[in-house]
Amino acid sequence: MIVQFYNVSKTYPNGVKALNDVSFKLDQGEFVFLMGPSGAGKSTVIKLMLREEIPTRGQIFIESRSVVRMQKKEIPFFRRSMGVVFQDFKLLENKTVSENIAFAMRVVGAGNQEIRQRVPQVIKMVGLDGKNDRFPSQLSGGEQQRVGIARAIVNRPLILIADEPTGNLDIDTSMGIMELLYDINRAGTTVIMATHARELVKDSYKRVITLDQGRIISDNEAAIGDAI
Amino acid sequence: MFKNFGYFIREAGTSLSRNRLLSIATISTIAICIFILGVALLLTLNANRFIDQLESDLEIMVFVDQELDEDETADLGDLLESTPGVQSVEFIPRDKALEGLEDKFRSEKYTLRDTVGKDNPLPDSFSVKAEQPHEVVKIAQEIEKMPGVYKVNYGKEMVERLFSVTKLVRIISMVLILLLAFAAVFLIATTIRLAVFSRRKEIYLMKLVGATDWFIRWPFFLEGIILGLVGSLIAIGLLVLAYGSLLQNIQNAIFFIPLIEDSKMLTGVYLSLLGTGAVLGVAGTWFSLNRFLDV
Repeated sequence: MIVQFYNVSKTYPNGVKALNDVSFKLDQGEFVFLMGPSGAGKSTVIKLMLREEIPTRGQIFIESRSVVRMQKKEIPFFRRSMGVVFQDFKLLENKTVSENIAFAMRVVGAGNQEIRQRVPQVIKMVGLDGKNDRFPSQLSGGEQQRVGIARAIVNRPLILIADEPTGNLDIDTSMGIMELLYDINRAGTTVIMATHARELVKDSYKRVITLDQGRIISDNEAAIGDAI
Repeated sequence: MFKNFGYFIREAGTSLSRNRLLSIATISTIAICIFILGVALLLTLNANRFIDQLESDLEIMVFVDQELDEDETADLGDLLESTPGVQSVEFIPRDKALEGLEDKFRSEKYTLRDTVGKDNPLPDSFSVKAEQPHEVVKIAQEIEKMPGVYKVNYGKEMVERLFSVTKLVRIISMVLILLLAFAAVFLIATTIRLAVFSRRKEIYLMKLVGATDWFIRWPFFLEGIILGLVGSLIAIGLLVLAYGSLLQNIQNAIFFIPLIEDSKMLTGVYLSLLGTGAVLGVAGTWFSLNRFLDV
């Protein structure tokens, strides 16, 4: 079990009830879609996993560590086991592809030699070979998201969290991004992807947790198990 | 920290040049603040020195009881010399005191000696100097109680007024310096706050990737320190030029006020201004980060 949510509820200070008694577990190496309309609570699940927010009620364990009881100074080290991909890519515009990826290594204290070795590997892995020195503005949306994914996996996280990674991309480009995420998952990384794009989920034969108004309304964990 | 020092410096430099206009504005303001601080400091130091000099001229006049004979007077002199806090004792015999008075009141028609006749009305006296100017009052009171002392005169009002002036000068410059320091800290805090704002995406990413608080903070502290140091260096440069030309051109005109020329002391002043610049930079950054960087 790499992720465990036990009866988690989250009410924001402004009174919005984002999650209501949510429980689920993820196994190491799983690929899970988090489905639901906007406002269903997908983003809150992700924020709780990253310890950007703490639950109002309930317990969360990631790699058997209690996220709720974690001390403030442990948070940075805890987050290093996760990589995050965003809908709007969140690339640094004044840095090249290489620099954007190296940035993630640098901030966790990687040395120059390590960075010089690892960054080209990852660029090749996401299919951007030869574009190392381009700036984000010189790349297409799909290519920018590939940089975002490269940055998320460069530190070899156990869990890759993707928050609507295809939200800003057309369907063909999205399929390419999905293939990349599946590849990463096949290499052993647990992937949790929030989306409301039904067409991506439909034929994936992956586990889908569907949220609506802060509650889990379906989780096809068992069904997938049978199908495989 | 040291492994990443180069990275931090680069980040700070990038941020400074990215917000070039604001950086220049902040540096200028810090320079002005530190310059005024320096002027106030030099003024205070020179004023203190001037006052010290005035104070050290203060003496206690001890008038000896007329009934004492020569030996007893000498004993009193020894007693005065052995009083703690006394620097020097000078005996002024009554005849000499009269001569002094005569010099002061000399007129062509008649002498003082004619007026007072054969009897010199003046007593023998001692001129006593204290080691520390502020001990004058205490020592004078002690001497007053000694046997054979007729009267003690130490320019009570003069001493007290001098001390109140010194105190006022010190208070005013302290207040001025504090106000300026606040202004400088506020400006640095604003610059850092904008730097944090313009890099909020980067900071957010750093947090999510797992950068420690200090890894995120260091570039901002360096930025604040650089702002403080560059600003104070400019101010110090101006001060060195201004004070140097003051010494060269004006000292002769105001010879009675001895300006500080001791290069060791001036270097001390300039270094402390540089240190102040750096401290202001750190303080401003600290303020800003605590309020605007929720890590």
